[in-house]
Amino acid sequence: MGDTVVNTDVKQVGSENALVIAVSHGAVFGAEDEDVHGVAFPLLQAVQKVNERLQQLKSSDSEPVQLEVVLICTNRAQQQQRDQVQTRTRAQGLQIHKFSFSCEDDFTDSLLENKVHLFLTTNSDEATQAANKGVLSAVLDPESACGPSEKLRIMFCGDAISDPGAESMSGSRQAKQVFWSHLGKIRQKFGVEDSPLTLVLLSSHGGIDGCCSALRSLRTAGLNVDEAYCLGGSPRKLIMSVLRPHFLLGAPEE
Amino acid sequence: MSDMKPSEVTAEVEEEKEWEAAKAFFDNLKTKKPRPPKPRNAVTIAVSSRVLFNLVEERKIFKHQGVEQYVAHQVEHENEPLQPGPAFPFVKALMTVNDRLRALYPNEEDLFDIVLMTNNHAQVGVRLINSINHYDLTIERFCMTGGTSPIGYLKAYMTNLYLSKDARKVTEAIGEGIAAATMFMPGEMQNQLCDTQLRVAFDGDAVLFSDESEIIVKQKGLDEFFAHELAYENLPLAQGPLKCFLEALGKLQRKFYAKNERLECPIRTFLVTARSAASSGARVLKTLRSWGWR
Repeated sequence: MGDTVVNTDVKQVGSENALVIAVSHGAVFGAEDEDVHGVAFPLLQAVQKVNERLQQLKSSDSEPVQLEVVLICTNRAQQQQRDQVQTRTRAQGLQIHKFSFSCEDDFTDSLLENKVHLFLTTNSDEATQAANKGVLSAVLDPESACGPSEKLRIMFCGDAISDPGAESMSGSRQAKQVFWSHLGKIRQKFGVEDSPLTLVLLSSHGGIDGCCSALRSLRTAGLNVDEAYCLGGSPRKLIMSVLRPHFLLGAPEE
Repeated sequence: MSDMKPSEVTAEVEEEKEWEAAKAFFDNLKTKKPRPPKPRNAVTIAVSSRVLFNLVEERKIFKHQGVEQYVAHQVEHENEPLQPGPAFPFVKALMTVNDRLRALYPNEEDLFDIVLMTNNHAQVGVRLINSINHYDLTIERFCMTGGTSPIGYLKAYMTNLYLSKDARKVTEAIGEGIAAATMFMPGEMQNQLCDTQLRVAFDGDAVLFSDESEIIVKQKGLDEFFAHELAYENLPLAQGPLKCFLEALGKLQRKFYAKNERLECPIRTFLVTARSAASSGARVLKTLRSWGWR
């Protein structure tokens, strides 16, 4: 059985005002705990920037919201050295709202208990487990580490052929809708320019009409994407190194 | 092939997979739209939104009322097609050349491919795509950067030529080694531009060739320039940024010649130079010939 520890260093967010993002310990500090900065590091820094800007808007905001970060620790060693985990994240300047300590088998219970909207991990098995419980999940790859630390860049990609299992890892339809809706509301709090959150749409091999359709579907779901790229079969690798998203999610079907 | 590093082989395999997926997508479409060429083989022309369409009025909103109002305006009018811009006849001419090439070579992959390359916001993109469809333009790739300069994206789209209204962007692109040109619309000319022939004139003096000769004229005068040109007559001029585009045009022209279509060839090229033909022309012509151009 696992449990969740509230981080008293960080001001807590009421659940009705939170978009909850859970990140695996391995994504932050490396699978073997060897990294000072794992692939999720820039992502967490960017999340912090979004929160800072949201804080600035608080006084004029009728519906204040924050991104709540939960660190998911499933390793026995981490369980036994909880203080160390907390000290380490503090030392790295990371704002983690809650720490969840559990086993590999029941971390998904923790995701549900903490009302997690999105689970990010470098371990695709973990992502599948979470998705099977209905939690929207995404696998972080080494490219995530190339994302900027001052802006959070989220990419929607409907037709990535390199991830045939991606759709199955994503979670329930409802989970997606809820996440999109929350994310869309956060994006709308900032203007066209100078937003700490950027939404990107990428279409690898469909035509422009398909991409335009996805754009419209996202709009209906409450998400106004900022950037759109229709590759028409040109190699993804080239553009990805320019776009540098922190993570990828599936785009809605037409 | 055997000299390639493993990572290069993987990249090539992935690229091939991505192209196969795109090909499959287009082949399964029920419309009669011709399938676009593989980006790596195509002569890719990136056009900005302001040269493809007339965005003069919208630009005023952007300048005087700011980006938020501009985006809102475009979204509000997104079902109203935009008027053609300065590059419109050029794009239609490219489509004509493609049609003619496909008629002669049914499985042709060396074709023109057009990319909409803009720093417009993706929400504005809906109006742009609607307009593209309204005029039945064959554009199947786009890049909407939402504010960032598109120059950094040109290579990712394998761009061979970039067209924009903004001279600064054009200069930046040339600085990155990509052929680029500014397009603007002198009012009266617009209606006279042919869209069944691709007519391209090159300024041999400055644009085609490197600055080497230009610098000699400026520093040492015309006599010294002529002497220099004579001495180096048989040494091809160093490549300017438009050389690759010129080579690509030449390659497509030869496809028409190969089918005895020289007189009917829809690609017409013109070399314009202020230098006297006799003295400096020889080096120019020899250089062009060495690049495979007629």
